[in-house]
Amino acid sequence: MSYTVTDARLLRINLTKKTIKVEKIEQELFRKFLGGRGLGSKYLIDEIDPKIDALSEANKLIFANGLLTGTFAPTGGRYMVVTKSPLTGTIASSNSGGFFGAEFRNTGFMMIIIEGKSAEPVYISINDEDVKIVDAKALWGLSTHETTDKLVEAFGVEGAKVACIGPAGENLSKIAAIMNDKHRAAGRSGVGAVMGSKNLKAIIVKGSRRVDIEQLEKFKEIVKVQNGMLKAHPVTGEGLPALGTKVLDNIINSNGLYPTRNFQSAIFSGVAEVCGEALVNKKYLQNNTACYGCVIACGREVALPNGLKGEGPEYESGWSLGADCGANDLIAITEANFLCNELGLDTISAGATIALAMELYEKGFIPKEDLEDMVEPRFGNSEAVVYYVKGMAYRETKLAAKMADGAYRLGKAYGHPELAMVVKKQELPAYDPRGVQGHGLQYATSNRGGCHVRGYMISPEILGVPEKLDPQALEGKPAWVKIFQDLTAVIDSAGLCLFSSFALGGDEYRDLINAVLNTELTTEETLKIGDRIWNLERQFNLAAGILPDQDTLPDRLLHEPLPDGPQKGCYSQLQKILPEYYQLRGWDEKGYIKTSTLKDLGLV
Amino acid sequence: MITIKFYSLLRLLVKIEQVELELADVPISTVLEEAAKKVKTPFLHKLVQDGKLITGTIILINGRNIHHLDKLNSRVQDGDEIALFPPGGGG
Repeated sequence: MSYTVTDARLLRINLTKKTIKVEKIEQELFRKFLGGRGLGSKYLIDEIDPKIDALSEANKLIFANGLLTGTFAPTGGRYMVVTKSPLTGTIASSNSGGFFGAEFRNTGFMMIIIEGKSAEPVYISINDEDVKIVDAKALWGLSTHETTDKLVEAFGVEGAKVACIGPAGENLSKIAAIMNDKHRAAGRSGVGAVMGSKNLKAIIVKGSRRVDIEQLEKFKEIVKVQNGMLKAHPVTGEGLPALGTKVLDNIINSNGLYPTRNFQSAIFSGVAEVCGEALVNKKYLQNNTACYGCVIACGREVALPNGLKGEGPEYESGWSLGADCGANDLIAITEANFLCNELGLDTISAGATIALAMELYEKGFIPKEDLEDMVEPRFGNSEAVVYYVKGMAYRETKLAAKMADGAYRLGKAYGHPELAMVVKKQELPAYDPRGVQGHGLQYATSNRGGCHVRGYMISPEILGVPEKLDPQALEGKPAWVKIFQDLTAVIDSAGLCLFSSFALGGDEYRDLINAVLNTELTTEETLKIGDRIWNLERQFNLAAGILPDQDTLPDRLLHEPLPDGPQKGCYSQLQKILPEYYQLRGWDEKGYIKTSTLKDLGLV
Repeated sequence: MITIKFYSLLRLLVKIEQVELELADVPISTVLEEAAKKVKTPFLHKLVQDGKLITGTIILINGRNIHHLDKLNSRVQDGDEIALFPPGGGG
């Protein structure tokens, strides 16, 4: 049985009332928002008051497939979790790969909107049209791996896929992730805590309906060409399969922007021990793995000498749990990464929060009694990295309980929020913006707070793809940031992987979208969809009280020059380029969206 | 003495981490040619094609990308450290 791409419906499940409804999605919405991040955001904004408490019953949790998720489009296996973030107070859109998204699309449902709160732990079971809310008391407290295994076994149909939370989400850690296929994370912005607040442990999906492409022959030809481009490109065809994202450790460190010891330095002396090359040469890497529909296969299947097995670390996770904490023990870093996956914590936020605890403790801002006799958080102590991952997930000690709510709240609790390396209360990823000006602007303006995947300016500014820009130059950067942000919103809403954009460009995404929507969008019109989604998210944030004064970076990155490395003496010059960015976005000089811009984008 | 460090796929390809060359005040293109003579496995084709840097190639002289110096004509001095990366990306 098959159905056309835009014929998909949505499931509305109210956990308070235990009701399940099926609704049609208006065709016009696909043309305006595609799916995934865009479509999910549209529904969230229409249905909740942005000012609500993110962990209250009034918040909604939306699982949204991209327009192309589950088709055979290159890397077409990604889904998005859209909700209000308990970490940032902004809109949250957390993206994940693996196989859950494609299987979920096979049920014929484009989205699930979860409302209310169950009185007892439950999970949602979807087998095509057969949708149930099921008791999950026996699963509460289990790791994401145990939960997945038990659910798949109980479901009894081969090929079922699971997305679930671990103890971190149950304990409402504001940096909790939703994990699917055991190792893949909708990681950022605390979406796992929203799921936990609803007493929803998991969703299991199995579908037998296939997405039918109207212009099938044309689509096949486009996909063939684009898969060829991905295979032929040195980044997606060679670098990522061989070394995964950890190919970046040495690149970023050698360029002098590898944040070390909570961004106190940008050069890590231990990089040789923890880099992607070391993961291969030490023979920890067993295989590379691929998500649904992907010819890149950048995933890391790893086995450690101590017998532990799992996937990762990726570049960001290896950095946050490694260099940011001053730790150079690759085994401990990988173990901490596995624990984050099993307990359901976002690796970037977890590592960055531990790094802040280390700086606070070493500076004497955390009293020893708050440790409750557990390991001292000191830079370079890998035992502390592993312990505090677990400590945060279970809120085990006075200190770990505070850490469970992320770096900003930890810093604030001990009187030093300025030491938290966050934007809009979300922890920054693995690139020091003092060494890369456009990326700093992108951090400051990201609609979900500190994030590298809303407009990956590292690609042109450091990697030289599609062309090399001087990382310290300011001229032209606001325009680059805007285009990258708009294009990323398109890729996210199409359900494709951002890594495809190393080899594919706006024209390629336009062709895929046109073939399934039966439209003749130009590249400019395709990017305008991204611009619309960007402004839609901004509208939510402004209404939620996240105002333009939060389009900034931590003081350390604005005022303390880089202390070492090839970019010694540099600092972020955000204030010099932010006004031009506002202007290009069609916002007023204070950063509010002009009515004329909203009208042009069809948002009023 | 100039030190040339190999990273990512180059390191997996040539199976050594670095070579040292007795050179001074020469263009980086000369350093690359001399390094290629000293390393058994051919590697230059991963960085340069038809006399031009492949898009995404990163060559650093003391952490400075030659794109923003004088590209393949950038001068290398005694004591400099060169880092070679074929195109790479992640995030």
